[in-house]
Amino acid sequence: MSVLAPIICDNGTGYSKVGFAGNSDPSFVFPTAIATRGSASQSSNAPAVPSKPGHLASKRGVEDLDFFIGDEALANAKTPGYGVYYPIRQGMIDNWDHMERYWEQTIFKYLRAEPEDHYFLLTEPPLNAPENREQTAEIFFESFNIKGLYIAVQAVLALAASWSSNRVTDRTLTGTVIDSGDGVTHVIPCAEGYVIGSAIKHIPIAGRDISQFVLNLMRERGEMTAVPPEDQLRVASKVKESYSYVCQDIVKEFRKYDADPYTYFQRYDGEHSVTGRKYSVDVGYERFLAPEIFFNPEILSSDFLTPLPEVVDETIRQSPIDVRRGLYKNIVLSGGSTMFQHFGQRLKRDLKQIVDRRLDDLATASGSSQKSSGVEVEVISHKRQRYAVWFGGSLLASLPEFYTSCHTKAQYDEIGPSICRRYQIFGSAT
Amino acid sequence: MILLEPHNVIIQTTLSEKITKPASVDVQFVDYDGVRFHLSTPERKSVLLLSMHIRCWDELVQYGAIDVLRREYGALLQPQPEPEYSVSLEIDLEQLPASPEDRDAFVMSIALFKRNALAAPFEHAFASQKGLESAATGSGELMQIHYRDEEAIYIQASHDRVTVIFSTVFRDETDRIYGKVFLQEFVDARRQPSIQNAPQVLYSNRDPPLEIRHLPDLRNTEDTGYVTFVLFPRHFGNATVASGTISHIQLFRDYLHYHIKCSKAYMHSRMRHRVAEFQKVLNRAKTEVATGEKKTVSGRTLVTR
Repeated sequence: MSVLAPIICDNGTGYSKVGFAGNSDPSFVFPTAIATRGSASQSSNAPAVPSKPGHLASKRGVEDLDFFIGDEALANAKTPGYGVYYPIRQGMIDNWDHMERYWEQTIFKYLRAEPEDHYFLLTEPPLNAPENREQTAEIFFESFNIKGLYIAVQAVLALAASWSSNRVTDRTLTGTVIDSGDGVTHVIPCAEGYVIGSAIKHIPIAGRDISQFVLNLMRERGEMTAVPPEDQLRVASKVKESYSYVCQDIVKEFRKYDADPYTYFQRYDGEHSVTGRKYSVDVGYERFLAPEIFFNPEILSSDFLTPLPEVVDETIRQSPIDVRRGLYKNIVLSGGSTMFQHFGQRLKRDLKQIVDRRLDDLATASGSSQKSSGVEVEVISHKRQRYAVWFGGSLLASLPEFYTSCHTKAQYDEIGPSICRRYQIFGSAT
Repeated sequence: MILLEPHNVIIQTTLSEKITKPASVDVQFVDYDGVRFHLSTPERKSVLLLSMHIRCWDELVQYGAIDVLRREYGALLQPQPEPEYSVSLEIDLEQLPASPEDRDAFVMSIALFKRNALAAPFEHAFASQKGLESAATGSGELMQIHYRDEEAIYIQASHDRVTVIFSTVFRDETDRIYGKVFLQEFVDARRQPSIQNAPQVLYSNRDPPLEIRHLPDLRNTEDTGYVTFVLFPRHFGNATVASGTISHIQLFRDYLHYHIKCSKAYMHSRMRHRVAEFQKVLNRAKTEVATGEKKTVSGRTLVTR
């Protein structure tokens, strides 16, 4: 390894995942938060102006270096004078000043890498404006003088991450990505590494809603009386993460629980974060009801009623006809909220039913004796689902083609930021 | 964050994590100046192998790096390093100090692996200065550490001082100018009364300082700069001060480049602010579209619904 490993930086709305290519897990996962000295005294949020010229070192303060990122930012949220900001909103970078400083500290304090020696792989949400890519390129090439940059679409990286599954035989970049994090769930169709923007669908149900739903269920049953109020949401999300699974049939599942509560009800033991008092709660129906809101959203609220399999079906049917088979065949899960046990199987079964029913209807409606050979539906879940986007980046950046697909510093100097408007897809075997 | 920290955060976090919950691990990561690390559990979950590759390892060995590492890590140091790496440590998670404070101190000492390896030539120089002091004349061996491809540290002990010279290359034109301003500011800042005791700093662009002018393989181009630190015995008199000096001075090059980047980031944020302000002015200058009553030819008023 003569060249130092490329750095993969996946900055999400909630959490940033950063690390070096070739590893299976990111080195750091911390909140995308920055705590800076609030400019409460100044009416505008302009950065501080250096006072009189002269010896800069003696006159000028170091306010622009006085900030924390990640977990340290949240820890300092209560320190007087500091304010916590989230520079990324809905996947897009909102405050470039904060983001530039955030990256600065990510690289120098946490990764301890000299950016001039490294290639970088960054991620962007689908439908990101090209101007944002240009801004990002400007920061990375001009502030940090990095060697080379590749900005990849998160959905495509999630597809690449699925190559690690042993169910995937050909390394294709065609498929439907279901990306469900903390804030929102996207269904994104990709054809040969390019996102089909017009067919993307969003579902307003994600990790946060599931935790809230679990909390409500447990409150209604009176379990939460033992838990201190400030810990309740945390307990609910812990319960969601450790005990939940997707069932194949709700009614049967309820019956099973009622017939034999002792085997299915579980106990969660916690400790008060301040006083250290122990408490324990029973975990019951929410084990299978929590992920069920993806498949029967009406149990959560009446605002959104389309189940996930239908949304996926809809998305694929809005995509160009020649890629639909590929999209059905390769449905890839990514993000923490798709980690429930049997999530993939349930999705596959429901989707298959929808597709088969439509084919049967078509056959009866047309009245012909010819029957379609059927559509192959496959949902791929794999071990790296939680940080799938980061892992996909790590995988792609360790391929030799990565270096040729990157935009290098020399190219940037020649052409300018607009170079990042076009990019090359690589890595797929087809 | 003004100063860079001497310890590696990845080693620190991974190790603390594995102490509480041993699990198999295999990660590769880097540190400044092209140092590569590999942390793995080759045999059992409780035995971690930490290997480090340093570009200038042979030079460091020559100046006593092995002794320094053996002093710091004792039996942890492996006689045979992992292939492709310069030096390896084996950490048995079952044989750790019991109390939490000692554990933290242990983890920290592992995280300072690179710092300790690079400390050898400095300690060597400090020791030889002590030896020369009685002679009151003469100077020690000029040690060269080529810690990056085109950059090196030169350390020389004399009877009353230790001179440390960094050569640094600025790959970018803008960086070179920033670096120049920055380094000149270093020289000026020393005039302030509060930091009179700081080591003397000299900066020269292109021309190497006299101490190293005789060396054959110096780059003599416009983008090279030389920074000379003159350390007096008060900077390394007692052990704590000496170790602090070493930690700071060996990160000097990274410190310099970090601050060049911070300055640029600051400039950019000022520029963005300025553009936003100008945009406001421009928006104010827009003429308002007159929306008077519109009449038809026949004199009736048009009413927009």
